[in-house]
Amino acid sequence: MGVANPPRTASDAKAPKEQEPSPAPRGDRAVTAVSHIVLAIWSIIVILPLVWVFLSSWKTTGEIFKSPLALPQHWSFDNYIGAWTDSHIGRYMLNSVIVVTSALVIVMILGSAAAYSLARYPFPGSGVVYYFILAGLTFPIFLAIVPLFFVLKNVGLLNTLPGLIATYVAFAFPFTVFFLYPFFRALPQEIAEAAELDGAGEWRTFAQVMVPMARPGIVAIAIFNFLGLWNQFLLPIALNTNEDNYVLSQGMARFASQAGYAVDFGQLFAAVVITIVPVLAVYIFSQRQLQGSLSQGTLK
Amino acid sequence: MATVTFDNATRQYPGNPKPSVDKLNIEIADGEFLVLVGPSGCGKSTSLRMLAGLEEVNGGRILIGDRDVTNLSPKDRDVAMVFQNYALYPHMSVADNMGFALKIAGVDKAEIRKRVEEAAKILDLTPYLDRKPKALSGGQRQRVAMGRAIVRSPQVFLMDEPLSNLDAKLRVQTRTQIASLQRRLGVTTVYVTHDQVEAMTMGDRVAVLKDGILQQCDSPRRMYDHPANVFVAGFIGSPAMNLMDVPVTDGGVDLHGHTVPVAREDLTNAGKHVTLGVRPEDLELSSDTSGIPVTVDVVEELGADAYIYGTAEQKLLEATGENAGDVPFIARVDGRRPPEKGEKIYLKPKPGHVHVFNAESGLRIGD
Repeated sequence: MGVANPPRTASDAKAPKEQEPSPAPRGDRAVTAVSHIVLAIWSIIVILPLVWVFLSSWKTTGEIFKSPLALPQHWSFDNYIGAWTDSHIGRYMLNSVIVVTSALVIVMILGSAAAYSLARYPFPGSGVVYYFILAGLTFPIFLAIVPLFFVLKNVGLLNTLPGLIATYVAFAFPFTVFFLYPFFRALPQEIAEAAELDGAGEWRTFAQVMVPMARPGIVAIAIFNFLGLWNQFLLPIALNTNEDNYVLSQGMARFASQAGYAVDFGQLFAAVVITIVPVLAVYIFSQRQLQGSLSQGTLK
Repeated sequence: MATVTFDNATRQYPGNPKPSVDKLNIEIADGEFLVLVGPSGCGKSTSLRMLAGLEEVNGGRILIGDRDVTNLSPKDRDVAMVFQNYALYPHMSVADNMGFALKIAGVDKAEIRKRVEEAAKILDLTPYLDRKPKALSGGQRQRVAMGRAIVRSPQVFLMDEPLSNLDAKLRVQTRTQIASLQRRLGVTTVYVTHDQVEAMTMGDRVAVLKDGILQQCDSPRRMYDHPANVFVAGFIGSPAMNLMDVPVTDGGVDLHGHTVPVAREDLTNAGKHVTLGVRPEDLELSSDTSGIPVTVDVVEELGADAYIYGTAEQKLLEATGENAGDVPFIARVDGRRPPEKGEKIYLKPKPGHVHVFNAESGLRIGD
């Protein structure tokens, strides 16, 4: 110990000197603290209503009005069962799943193929085609509602699920192409050439080499499209008026509006939770996929 | 296995007035290791890509064996390529990367597995077969790229600067490994590099290109001892050959009073002066003041040897004393007694170790 002491005191004496030029870390700490507080407040603003909806979905309407913030008196599935059967949320959910899944699969296939060919095979007019698709992005959907109505009516797809699917595909297509285009463009040409030498044709190169490499982008746009189409309200309300074919968003709206002032809020909140859960599930699942493929990246 | 023939093969990019590869003629023997070398932009990679089918051929033909492959697509040429950045499929395991071509060709799974494992054994990749490329080091990735070529047992290997992404030490090791692997497999190989040391150490023959034109195609030894023109002379060898213009005199060329004998018939059409080339190791210190006067700028001591980097006066005509300016000059001398910095020394070429080139055309004079 006696031997160890002198160097220790020496280094102790030095330590404050070394710490002198460190206002930057202290400033960093302040920034970190402030941003954590801001983020925490933000999170609370986002999460609290969801929690409140979730808790309320287990209460009766009376309970909700009497003590909005209290925990439910007893946990029962009554609201959920009621929402699922009496209010046809089950059927709307099925419709939503059919429409959104089909539209998503189709738009991802068409969109990635279009983005791939535009990004990697320059042909005369490819720029025009690309900007034409982009122009679709800027076009407000409200202006297209009435023409769309008549188009679907003329081809006999009005008020049918296939009609809604086709509309969703057209609606999501421009952004999908716009989003995937840079991903395909950034993929190294060398790998396409390696595949060509390995004997892969254009389709195989696309499906087995390029699409897996563009996976971060594809997963991201798939999530985005899923959320957008799942919550789509304007298109179904105008083009899908047959009650049997209602999607969830329409069902929810009907639920809230038809009962006037006698809404069963407990059931309504249960229906909201049922609507949110698939979206959350898809998001959480693909989030992991997204991170996995992002870290995989391409090789230098 | 097959021969490869470039028959007047030409590639001209649209909008480019000059061809990038101009009437290339090379015949590569079965099992030969040919290295294409040259400065950047010389057309060496373009030539390789023409052979691979990745680049259009605008004139002439390319043959693999007796097959004219000029207009065949890459997959029908039975060639495998190792790319500069390896071009591994990042989402596939090492085994899948190596077996991808066989899978496409419809080879059955057991056979693919067998061939991949064989190749992995040759390349010490067996423990890594299930890994993704990102989990490999640079050297391992390079070997996977080699493995991908090997499992296909193609007629020709094409390698486009496969070592340029490795660190210096690994590059030297891998250089030897690739060369010995190629000898063992006996597959005709065309190898592109800008590094003349790689070219000299690996190739059975070396083809030097400049501005899309083939300068010389010879064995490394012959290339070193008998460069066909000034460009090859300066490009091959490290440190580079000393080149200077010297006046022609009776019975040879004049080096500041020291006559280097050159056969008279070789000099008949050469004009008043020629370009003389001497490799740094072919110079001796002169005991008197005849020979090339060199002012020493830097001395690099390497232990056994020392390299002198200096400047030499370039005297074109002894009579008028016309001076064509100084040229950089490098000489290898005994490492035990190197001259001092700033010292003026006189150097003479060893007899029989000079290269004489026509000063205008740059072509070699004599043998």
